[in-house]
Amino acid sequence: MKPDVTVDATYQSCPGPLLALADAVSRAQPGQVVKLRATDPAAPSDVREWSAGTGHKLLEITRDGDIYEMYIEVSG
Amino acid sequence: MSKIALIVASERLDKLFPAVTLATTAAISGWEAELFFTFWGLLALKKGYEPSEVSLDYQAYQDLLKEALASGSMPGWRTVLEQGIATGRVKIYACSSSLGMFGLTADDLEEYVDSVAGAATFLGKAKDAEVTLFVS
Repeated sequence: MKPDVTVDATYQSCPGPLLALADAVSRAQPGQVVKLRATDPAAPSDVREWSAGTGHKLLEITRDGDIYEMYIEVSG
Repeated sequence: MSKIALIVASERLDKLFPAVTLATTAAISGWEAELFFTFWGLLALKKGYEPSEVSLDYQAYQDLLKEALASGSMPGWRTVLEQGIATGRVKIYACSSSLGMFGLTADDLEEYVDSVAGAATFLGKAKDAEVTLFVS
């Protein structure tokens, strides 16, 4: 999946990754895909909860070792 | 819209962190957050305040927190708070009686303080909050 914006929040602990994601999403256009990279083990569940609450669509979560990559489509 | 209401009664680093983390996370999730700073917590609203100490019980761990801040793995408490305030959904209230106790006036407080308020005002803001916490 090719994102429009990539945010690297690796080695940041809660709430760093979510703050970085929210900031990137607020700057993106509806329909664009934001990729968040994080190592915080809470990030996948936090992003899942945040997406459900805000209406942005969590497309996919992948994991490579300690690094999670989460793809979020910005809602309109 | 969901709402969180917090009473912040300490100015120490280890108390401010959970308070602003919850408030800002709520705000970026579309919630309203109402924060009432009272007693020692009010000191955190003084212009330019930078906490340097954790609570006395946890001083042995203070360096761990400072290292996390210095390395950037944890964002600063004010950075977190300001991102919440930028959403327009975080409201900051300064306890009027604590203000008087410390001999301060509203002019001594940060610009982002919404108003000086009393207990009844906070109760009115908090009565329909789904989450209410006392942080001390």
